[in-house]
Amino acid sequence: MLKTFYYSLLINTHYTFNSFLYILRKLPIFKDLITEDAYHSNFIKSIGTIFGTIIKVCKLLLFRCFYFYIIFLLSNILSDNEFSFYHIFLIFSIIGIFVHNTLLNPSLKKYLSIIIFKMDAKNYLKYNLFIVTITNFLLNIFCFYIFKLDMIVGMLLTFCQVFFRIIGEGMDIWYYRKYKKFWYTNTILYYGIIIPLFSCCLLPFFGIIINSTIITISLLIGTVLAIFSYRYINHIEDYKLIYKKINKLETILSNNNETRNSIIDVKNKDISIHDNRISKKAGYDYFNSIFFERHKSILLRSATFLSATLLVIYVFLICLCLNNENISVKVSDFLSNRLGWFVLIMYFLNRGSIVTQAMFYNCDHAMLKYNFYRESKVIVGLFKKRLLTVVKVNLLPALIIGIGNFILCSITMHNNFINSISMLLFILILSIFFSLHYLVIYYLFQPYDKDMKVKKISYSIISIATYYISFQFSKLVLTSLILSVFGLIFCLLYIVISLYLVKKIAPKTFKIN
Amino acid sequence: MKLIVEGLNKKYDDKEVLKNVNFSFESGKIYGLIGRNGAGKTTFFNCINEDVDVDSGKVYLEDEMRKRLITTNDIGYVISTPVVPEFLTGREFLKFYLDINDKNQKKSLEEYFSIVQIDKKDQDKLLRDYSHGMKNKMQLLINIISNPKVILLDEPLTSLDIVVQEEMKNLLKELKKDHIIIFSTHILEIALDLCDEIIILNNKNLEKIERENVNSKKYKDKIINMLKEEKC
Repeated sequence: MLKTFYYSLLINTHYTFNSFLYILRKLPIFKDLITEDAYHSNFIKSIGTIFGTIIKVCKLLLFRCFYFYIIFLLSNILSDNEFSFYHIFLIFSIIGIFVHNTLLNPSLKKYLSIIIFKMDAKNYLKYNLFIVTITNFLLNIFCFYIFKLDMIVGMLLTFCQVFFRIIGEGMDIWYYRKYKKFWYTNTILYYGIIIPLFSCCLLPFFGIIINSTIITISLLIGTVLAIFSYRYINHIEDYKLIYKKINKLETILSNNNETRNSIIDVKNKDISIHDNRISKKAGYDYFNSIFFERHKSILLRSATFLSATLLVIYVFLICLCLNNENISVKVSDFLSNRLGWFVLIMYFLNRGSIVTQAMFYNCDHAMLKYNFYRESKVIVGLFKKRLLTVVKVNLLPALIIGIGNFILCSITMHNNFINSISMLLFILILSIFFSLHYLVIYYLFQPYDKDMKVKKISYSIISIATYYISFQFSKLVLTSLILSVFGLIFCLLYIVISLYLVKKIAPKTFKIN
Repeated sequence: MKLIVEGLNKKYDDKEVLKNVNFSFESGKIYGLIGRNGAGKTTFFNCINEDVDVDSGKVYLEDEMRKRLITTNDIGYVISTPVVPEFLTGREFLKFYLDINDKNQKKSLEEYFSIVQIDKKDQDKLLRDYSHGMKNKMQLLINIISNPKVILLDEPLTSLDIVVQEEMKNLLKELKKDHIIIFSTHILEIALDLCDEIIILNNKNLEKIERENVNSKKYKDKIINMLKEEKC
């Protein structure tokens, strides 16, 4: 047991050091200073490991702070009550039982440790569980302190989250052993659990907030279930077999795991296409049509699902506004003064990044190897065809939001027709803008490598900047009329400029990294 | 028709891969480019195909009329790991390619498939489900259709079974009449069996080896010794 712990730690240390040195040697200043001999030097190894670990810890802290920040943001929008933060934190921790398990996820480290180095699989799993638990605990305590939250409640919630994680890992293992697949591949089960749980996060908006008693009860239940879960994890002996099945070399090397497949892989049911949809088409039109027909699951179905969810939310909100004067006033206030929030909402709802991932992984990754595909007129022509299709895909959820807002506006802000119409227009403009934006930055920066990892820093910076600017809009207090006029002008300008840039720059930048 | 490489240099950071390469390739021949793993065979192809920027040097195409710089339209590049759009079926990919490249459509889809011997039942399968050899055949087929003057083949036979290897070899022998074919491999037997000329990429440069009795041990040893002499 201790030996496995020791060797796992050793592999992690070497991994940290080598990755750190590799990245360092890519930087212009260090490229000449650090030679390959550095891999042999014990002194540099120690320094590198320390730096690598510091960077890793900073990264973890940053992500956890971001997680806390998002909860803060959400709780502030939903309610003024300070306990709304703890409410959302607890619900997120429960959601974590279902979505955040790591012990069985395929990874190169697991493949190397268990298959190549032949480590004891069960001990390796327990080591990882230990590391995950400790890291989770320390990060949460740190953030509760930094965010100046109640440390006692924070401690209770941290224990809750840690125990919930153990329950989740146990459930994951149980499901995999029983059904030979991960539970999240069952879409109905997945959404059937996740959506109601996410809806519970909205309860503070309606004044329903958990208190310290519920947190304590959750902790008690969590403790008991975590003990059972750990006993189950400890009882199982066939981890080596499970890891062997999950961590196949080709899966690891191509990063072709089930999670990604479920996002961007062509589904078997989409293989057959009605002849009348493509029979009259030729060349790139034919090519593009087949691409979108075969990716219906990724594009239309997810957009339809999103639209259905939005429809339910809006019907619910409309009913509430019709029956409750208080909520009607709050909604009216939100729509009148905080319309900028919809920039951020549309940013999150847009399917653009998934579409570009599918384009790259299933199409451009292969086609860019062919010289004819890299010609300027082909790139621009295909860009225009794709833009139209992506706009169409995103239009349905945008229409639901636009019409939903229009109705809410009509109900809560009586006789304000211009405001309602401009709001609808504003949402549609945003949808077109984000559809275009994702496609443009994909063509101008083509950030992915063959493993679908983002390799361009410039792309990451633009993505962060897009989020930041979208977020800044949430602070603006402007009428929908001004916003929609401004949005329309901006969007038109953006289309013209981006088409020009795609024509001029994309033939040079749109290539395999 | 000739492919002329003049003063080609390529470095990756400090590592010099190609150093002042000067060589001339002629049509009607298959050139076997031999080199050890990591010698720079793929880099040489990538430089010709403009997939990477060269540090210096030029690549020309010369026929009876004139000598001009080569363009990517002159080149068909078959890479070792075949990449095809996996969301299309073999038939769809071929139809699409014919739409954009062969306006006259001299042959039917079936005729094209028969060139590379892909069965009817496989033609409507997704390319995702094609074997490595079948993907390779598709890649070669579309390079045949676009009829480039130069065909670069980067270790295309290495991982194919012997039946597909033979089919591909025969196909290349048929193609060589009107094309300049450069075929890279690190398997000496394949090169000796298929190629009209043997070139070694050694010490960052190309070196032609006169063909002697290709089956003799002495000849093979000579090539292996040359490859062993690689200066670090």
